[in-house]
Amino acid sequence: MLFEFDAEQRLWQDTVHKAVVKEVPPTLVRAVADDGADPAPLWRVYADLGWTELTDPADAVELAIVLEELGRATDPTPYLATLTQFAPLAPAFGSPDQSGTAVFSGVTARPADGGWVLEGTARHVLDGDRADHLAVVTEAGVFVVPATDVTAVRTPVFDPVLHLAEVTFPQVRVAGSSRSGADPEHARQRALTGMALTIVGACRRALDLVLDHVRTRHQFDAPIGSFQAVQHKEADMHVAVERARALAYYAALTIAADDPRRRPAASMAKAAAGECQALVFRNAVQLSGAMGHTWENDLQFAIKRAKSGELMLGGAAQHRALITEESLAEKRTAEEVS
Amino acid sequence: MRLSFDTDVEAFRAEFAAFLEAHLPVEAEATERSRSTGHIPEWARRWQRLQFDEGWLLPGNPPEFGGRNASVLQQYVHREELSRRRICHSFNPQGVGIVAASLLSFGTEEHKRRWAVPILRAEITAALGMSEPGAGSDLASLRTRAELDGDHFTVNGQKVWTSGAHDADVLLTFVRTDPDAPKHKGISVLLIPTDTPGLTRRPFASYTGPDDKDFNEVFFENVRVPAENLIGPLNQGWRVANGSLGHERTLMWLGEAERMEAVARDFRPTDTLEKDWYATLVMDLQALRLLGSAALARAARGEQDVPALSVLKVFGSEAAQRALEHVLEASGPDGLDHPAQTAPYCHMAFDDDSASWFNRYARSFGGTIAGGTSEIQRTIIAERVLGLPRR
Repeated sequence: MLFEFDAEQRLWQDTVHKAVVKEVPPTLVRAVADDGADPAPLWRVYADLGWTELTDPADAVELAIVLEELGRATDPTPYLATLTQFAPLAPAFGSPDQSGTAVFSGVTARPADGGWVLEGTARHVLDGDRADHLAVVTEAGVFVVPATDVTAVRTPVFDPVLHLAEVTFPQVRVAGSSRSGADPEHARQRALTGMALTIVGACRRALDLVLDHVRTRHQFDAPIGSFQAVQHKEADMHVAVERARALAYYAALTIAADDPRRRPAASMAKAAAGECQALVFRNAVQLSGAMGHTWENDLQFAIKRAKSGELMLGGAAQHRALITEESLAEKRTAEEVS
Repeated sequence: MRLSFDTDVEAFRAEFAAFLEAHLPVEAEATERSRSTGHIPEWARRWQRLQFDEGWLLPGNPPEFGGRNASVLQQYVHREELSRRRICHSFNPQGVGIVAASLLSFGTEEHKRRWAVPILRAEITAALGMSEPGAGSDLASLRTRAELDGDHFTVNGQKVWTSGAHDADVLLTFVRTDPDAPKHKGISVLLIPTDTPGLTRRPFASYTGPDDKDFNEVFFENVRVPAENLIGPLNQGWRVANGSLGHERTLMWLGEAERMEAVARDFRPTDTLEKDWYATLVMDLQALRLLGSAALARAARGEQDVPALSVLKVFGSEAAQRALEHVLEASGPDGLDHPAQTAPYCHMAFDDDSASWFNRYARSFGGTIAGGTSEIQRTIIAERVLGLPRR
């Protein structure tokens, strides 16, 4: 295993980083949170940059680089939902101009008149209130429906930039041709990996903000970042971020290579990101002192994004259970063979 | 980024696997066990010599020093193959990994011929004399004094924690040669045969048991050391310390990965909590491999990123320790049994690696203390990776 970006990937990372710094500054995120600014123009920027076309699993590492940077910046667009939840479920669908999301549960499908009828209500659908299309996972398969066919109501949430919605399917009639051939399990792995990368990016941002704070904040005639109690908390955050970041990119790599380890890798990515955000949230707020408690401090965007990611698509503990299940099954198989 | 190695690396792996297949000592031959890290049983000496002669001992070295000029990635798969089979390539790890490596990096041709090659061929064994009663984490404050007097140094002072010294033939010893210089600038390195008059060694037991005697105190009382045994330039010992330990650090994380791999193999989680612990172990092991291989890739490009290795050190040693703590707690009262066999016996490994869970856990603190404590590593990360101000 050679776990390092190659020259092209480093170049791509650099390009993406510069674009994100320019196009998604903290002032924009704050304008969205405070003044309800419309992030739609930003979506068009992403489309122009070609980022909305990274839907082929073979591009998973390149997509991962974009997702990590957008996680750092607290991307206010439906990019994550579109690229990692909708696109994997609707590979033949969608144009780069349009957004989408996934409904993973809560909806049933029954055959009717050569087509299907979708019924049910899904809660906490990421960007469900503003996506142009929805990919709906049911026991009968995956269906792609336009947002105009459903009723979506934005759910009030703690994170001011996050869009979640309750989506109701009032007996939506869909044609048989709108059934997607996508494998929901594969799609789930891509969604998990995308969420993990977003969390990792957000944690890196939180760490950077706290580092700035402890370098400049003086108490007892010294920058507080020179105190060992503070330094060691920062070091722990760095180690946690490195660990989570490595596992997140590993998951992306297994997707790009269509490697059989992709299933446990996706759970490891999500679990490690979850563990990382718990430590980073705690230490970041603690080390920022009272300043970290203010609305005007941008730290809130990063840590809320990180924590939100943990609460979606299964938390760290749930994924650890899956990891053990997979690993013990593999161990049994290996022992039977030998 | 890729999940597999190039074909040349895989071919190298296959060639080494074939060598092991053909030449690994059989269990019946390996009845005498290693009693300390300075003691290599006769059969294991033959084994180490064979690896040296065939260029498999330290594949990165040139052929005259037990290698075949292998690339960093080839060295990595070499270690993987050893670890998969639980094989120690030497029962004198600090002699091969640190002392001989230092002699090859900083010694003269004569040093290499007279000391490095015999250590690598297991004709003699070596120990590393760095720490002192008053110089642990603050190693540069060491006080063992060496005064140059014509053609020899006279050494007075004391070392401690000198692993395997009582069984070793030579000691790579860090001494103060200029007491007036700033503390990092007055240190030199001497290679001292342990049978030199005035040198006494006192092994003492670790907390794992009264018979586990690897630690030593070493006392120097007017020990005369030929001036030609100076390794590297006078008063440049700090460079040697960093160089020799740095050499080891690029691959040191592999030792922890191997320990975790063994725990993962031997751990049978049953209830929900144990399964949760087990998942943490699986994740830590995978993450350590990923971060370690990234460090290797950097080294392969010739980039030395020493502070980044602190991440591997603190993460790997603490993850291994946490795994052993979990597996000990999961074993309940059975974990108290000692001696006990917690893994299949392996004649090519140190016996402690498969001993009781309590013993294995207790020994894990070597990882978080030796070679720079976790606390020191965290400070290095904070100041040299994250750029926080020094106190």
